[in-house]
Amino acid sequence: MTAQAIIQSLASGLLMGLLYGLIAVGLALIFGLMDVTNFAHGEFLMIAMYLSFFLFAFFAIDPLLSAPLVAAAMFVFGAVVYLLVVRFAMRAKANAGMVQIFTTFGLAILMRGLAQFFFTPDYRSIPQSWVGGKTVSVAGIFLPEPQLIGAAVSIAAFGGLYFFIHRTDFGRALEATREDPGAVALVGIDKNRVFAFGWGLGAALVGLAGAIMAVFFYIYPDVGASFALIAYVTVALGGFGSVFGALAGGIIVGLVEATTALLLPPSLKSVGIYAVYLLVVFIRPRGLFGSM
Amino acid sequence: MTISRRDVLLGATATAALVPLAARAQTSEVVIGVIYPFSGGSAQQGIDAQKAYETALEVINKDTDFDLPLAKGEGLPGLGGAKVRLVFADHQADPQKGRAEAERLITQEKVSAIIGTYQSAVAVTISQICERYQIPFVSADNSSPSLHRRGLKYYFRAAPHDEMYSAAMFDFFDAMKKKGIKIETLSLFHEDTIFGTDSGNAQAKIAGERGYKIVSDIKYRANSPSLSAEVQQLKTANADVLMPSSYTTDGILLVKTMAELGYKPNAIVAQDAGFSEKALYDAVGDKLEGVISRGTFSLDLAQKRPMVGKINEMFKTRSGKDFNDLTSRQFMGLIILADAINRAKSADGEKIRDALAATDIPGEQTIMPWKRVKFDETGQNNDADPVLLQYTGGKFVTIFPPQAAIAEATWPMK
Repeated sequence: MTAQAIIQSLASGLLMGLLYGLIAVGLALIFGLMDVTNFAHGEFLMIAMYLSFFLFAFFAIDPLLSAPLVAAAMFVFGAVVYLLVVRFAMRAKANAGMVQIFTTFGLAILMRGLAQFFFTPDYRSIPQSWVGGKTVSVAGIFLPEPQLIGAAVSIAAFGGLYFFIHRTDFGRALEATREDPGAVALVGIDKNRVFAFGWGLGAALVGLAGAIMAVFFYIYPDVGASFALIAYVTVALGGFGSVFGALAGGIIVGLVEATTALLLPPSLKSVGIYAVYLLVVFIRPRGLFGSM
Repeated sequence: MTISRRDVLLGATATAALVPLAARAQTSEVVIGVIYPFSGGSAQQGIDAQKAYETALEVINKDTDFDLPLAKGEGLPGLGGAKVRLVFADHQADPQKGRAEAERLITQEKVSAIIGTYQSAVAVTISQICERYQIPFVSADNSSPSLHRRGLKYYFRAAPHDEMYSAAMFDFFDAMKKKGIKIETLSLFHEDTIFGTDSGNAQAKIAGERGYKIVSDIKYRANSPSLSAEVQQLKTANADVLMPSSYTTDGILLVKTMAELGYKPNAIVAQDAGFSEKALYDAVGDKLEGVISRGTFSLDLAQKRPMVGKINEMFKTRSGKDFNDLTSRQFMGLIILADAINRAKSADGEKIRDALAATDIPGEQTIMPWKRVKFDETGQNNDADPVLLQYTGGKFVTIFPPQAAIAEATWPMK
């Protein structure tokens, strides 16, 4: 094992980790806001990847350009899902937690089925984009451009999110609703509007990740599943509901995955992630940066 | 006659054994169960398979002019012209769902035989259920060698298995070495279900016997979100030949990641699966010029045997795709099974089994480059010669063995 191989693995792990963070943060946001785990999170990612693909296939819009469009469309989609589905699931009098789980889980299966029906299960990919397949090489370390752009977008999105939550009125309303949904109603904040906005924002963030990923990953109806699992681990590791826990969790997952694959046979590379995850959950059940 | 649920429940063993017999005795049609993944990650394979089986069904049930068993005349003459009907079931790539579906097909749909399954892991459980109910199972496109070594009486495979394929690859390497080309080290890269594991084991075994050195043997987790660590190791090992055994999704990611990490092997010799899929070449075909994959089918054969081209057109109008290694085997699988049912003159599982065991179809009466179809006592056809195909200028050409080849291999890849 050469020093170069180690650095290469760490670099790949870091780039992938930043993207894992971006995929997971929408999940963390929605959970933090209203204690609902969105089990259709991976399918949101899948829809975003297809959107990006179709914008490329029909209108030749490069995924990097269409990323904001996809994020905007996903924002609307997320808000609509809240208003049409989740809002009603939350009204359940008995077993509210279970109802929410099964609602979002059912939504996931429905979305997967619809995707398979309308888009066919064939594997799609975007063969030619501005950065697709291109690589920057620094001292023998290869950094794929799509992942570099993904990492940059991820950092920018987290920066923007920080600014939004701490510096804008709506961000403050979001935080306040998260802390005490009952009290905000008294000061005239419409809880439903905030929740719908939170779902929109969460979907927009995973939409951004999906648009970037469409450049270097294949697209098919089940693609969300493998990333959703990583997103749940990331959120649990970083801290339920903590936006910056998601960033830290993503980076840790990416790095641990890369190092495990370097030290152990690659078929065991997820073992490292789940070992770290178990350890953290045992010692600190709310996750590394969880505040609840 | 009608069978109520209560009848079936009354004395489970007796009913299960007798009712199907009675129900099958005087039918004007024979029902065959077809089990594939129609949802989930491999659903496209199931959908393509369905088109292949429907093409075969047209050849069997309608009057066509091909030199294939059952092509001329309508239906099965041995059963008074009875038509074949297919019942499709979805196993979702899950061996347990496959087992349940097989059981349902046998007990509820009264199928006379089952054919499937794309994933070898699912073929394992389905063939066991078939054995228990004494219903023949035709493994149309599974390639794991362990499948026919379980002492099953009702298991049949007309196509080659991975040891035969792998042996062909090493025959090819030996031939290339005789021409003075340096092939000493190999990298194996295989996924962690039964297909990849069996393939990797077969390749490691033959490599040892013939004196090739395996410099990296990477068993990876199927459907991983990232393969950069794996590719990094392949790159470090830098073998003369990279030998992947991967399904489509992993194949696409592997090739993309290799390009990203600047790894370009001298040659890739793939164990089919993803590397025979149009989707993979649509996605990353530009990076695969010169890749070699094994197969049992080659459209080149149409030059010698025109019916191959015509049947391919029939399939293409249905699916929009040319026959590939999988769909051609599926097509042939149903023809072979229907031929046996016809000769058995019965829809009874045991009689069909005996007819299958007595099968002897010359290679010219298939769409494959095989010597013939004749099963040994384990249900394996050992005369199914594999071919090696090279991807050149957007299509596959046969490069090995010499008697089937229409072009010389390009080595290194590009």
